[in-house]
Amino acid sequence: MMIPLSNSNSKLQLKIKKERQEFMKPVKIAMMGMTHGHTRKYYQTLLDNQKLDWVASCAQDEDAKKTYELYKTGVPCYLDPEEMYKKHPDIEAVVIASANDRHFEQMKWCAEKGIHILSMKIPTFNMKEYDEMIAMCDKSGIVCQIELEMHYNSVVRRLKKLIADGAIGKIKSVQATNITLSPVWAFPWQGDPKASFGSVVQLKKSDPRFRGGALCDHPHIFDLIRHLTGSSFDYIYAEVAPNLRDGLKVEDMLMAVGKMKDGTAFLFDPSWSRLEEKIKVPGPGWERFPKRMEVNVTITGDKGMISCDCFGPNVYHNGAPNDRYTVQYTYFDEWVGLIDEFVDCIRNKKTPLINLKWHKETIQAMLGCYESIQSGKIAKVG
Amino acid sequence: MNLKKMNKGLDFLRGKYGAEKGEIAIKDGHCFVGTAPLLPGRMERKIVELKKMTENGTLEGVSTLRFASFAPKGSDIAAMLAKELDLAAYLGASDIVRVMAVANGSAINVLAKLANDVNVSVEIGAGLPKGETGYDRHEIIAKRGVACDQTVDTHTKHESIRCWGAKGMAEYTDVDTELFGLTYEEVWNVRAAFALLQGRADAKVWKAAWAKATKAAALAFAADRTKAAKAIAAKKGIDTNRSIKVAEVR
Repeated sequence: MMIPLSNSNSKLQLKIKKERQEFMKPVKIAMMGMTHGHTRKYYQTLLDNQKLDWVASCAQDEDAKKTYELYKTGVPCYLDPEEMYKKHPDIEAVVIASANDRHFEQMKWCAEKGIHILSMKIPTFNMKEYDEMIAMCDKSGIVCQIELEMHYNSVVRRLKKLIADGAIGKIKSVQATNITLSPVWAFPWQGDPKASFGSVVQLKKSDPRFRGGALCDHPHIFDLIRHLTGSSFDYIYAEVAPNLRDGLKVEDMLMAVGKMKDGTAFLFDPSWSRLEEKIKVPGPGWERFPKRMEVNVTITGDKGMISCDCFGPNVYHNGAPNDRYTVQYTYFDEWVGLIDEFVDCIRNKKTPLINLKWHKETIQAMLGCYESIQSGKIAKVG
Repeated sequence: MNLKKMNKGLDFLRGKYGAEKGEIAIKDGHCFVGTAPLLPGRMERKIVELKKMTENGTLEGVSTLRFASFAPKGSDIAAMLAKELDLAAYLGASDIVRVMAVANGSAINVLAKLANDVNVSVEIGAGLPKGETGYDRHEIIAKRGVACDQTVDTHTKHESIRCWGAKGMAEYTDVDTELFGLTYEEVWNVRAAFALLQGRADAKVWKAAWAKATKAAALAFAADRTKAAKAIAAKKGIDTNRSIKVAEVR
């Protein structure tokens, strides 16, 4: 069930909003693509945050537009970016919420117009394109922030603080999961090798699958370990397992081990290991395993150990629609902090924590996983 | 509770999102904005989610509520009980019309009835060692579905982080990025004050709801003394159990 979103449900709130806007100039923002799994997570924040004025959306196709309209945001939706820009020439920033293979052209479109960019978590896996993205953003002087929302999760914030305060001493080992259901039924491009990975590349000899699956969906833990250790990737080794979902062209189960340059050993599980119902629009009952998404981190240090569940505790039920035991996520406000940082960077000319240059090594580490799967050997990163 | 930090957090939210002026004060251990008592329990995100489940069709045909709250020695069990009885009326969407209770020192067990015939049990105990953060449980049992803020197959609360360091084990559950650093109790009092100042919560409703809850708690202790259930006449007037609307974005 969807409840229409609204940023002003009373006269008092309208009055408050008007008064606030007299003191500051909200960033005129738009969304593009509307096919990414995270698209809907922005709606409430874009409407609520008074530092923003969400003026338009531009869907990739009619299907994406129809899905967008289910949420009744009240913000107009176009199918042609040029038409959107013609009607809203004052757009200052865009959330690019599209398939990975559309990011380059959309970033180029924004950079040419001097529009700031909030990019989804994988700008591109093509490193030539990646460098061009850096160059075009530098040239136009725009902010390009990468959406790695885990940094604005209050549990991750506590985790980083504990590590920085020396609660467990020097990190020796990190184990992390970024395991979820698969979004491919709702967002088919995530099961399409070209749309997800950017090109069609076989996983390894005699394997019928291609790059572009679960790994492409889960960069967070590859990024988090860099922040926690302050170190860079040295090498990585990865293995794919048999898929859980028949007919999927891309990998859904894999694991990786490796070492950071400071010696930290790591073990990552970025799989789609939680099964789901094949529904077209995410909503209640999507999950078959009780919890849709788990980011769990265990860290061994030379003075102690930390165990961390980034998305818990929650509320639990076995009610409608499927009468299955289900985790109802309860503390889920990463997008609030993410957008705050984006606005701060635009208005105060700051560089985002996760910018294109920083994020490059994370993408290289993920590519290292694919290289290792292909070669059967470790892959050096960077 | 650190009032200075709480009001700083409230100012931050007011500055960011906009709200009328106001500040939190503490009287007799309870937080107020002006003359309006805060109902932080209703603002706890886990309670918000449970309330949504009773209203959006996830649960159908609520029959029984099983609540519990345990706190360190010296805690005010009457205030703890009032909070739980308020949440029972709120989540059960109906006022309390009868209470029976048996108390013993720092503990009281309550069996209550809502006007819509739903049963409510509340376990209250103030026997935890000093310094413990406490533990509560809110379970809603319905014809279709059981919902709870504690996970199945455990009787200890889940924490986001457990850290075993040189000083032993410490647990952390941070629930609000914007108010990071405040305690759990502080966070929800600030959120409650903010809801009032934004006009999303109604001071009249909260005043009436808190009056009903404290009266029901007092009658529970009276029921223990007299060994007889106490009836509470249903009051006509404003609905004190209506939810604050929240949007569904998942």
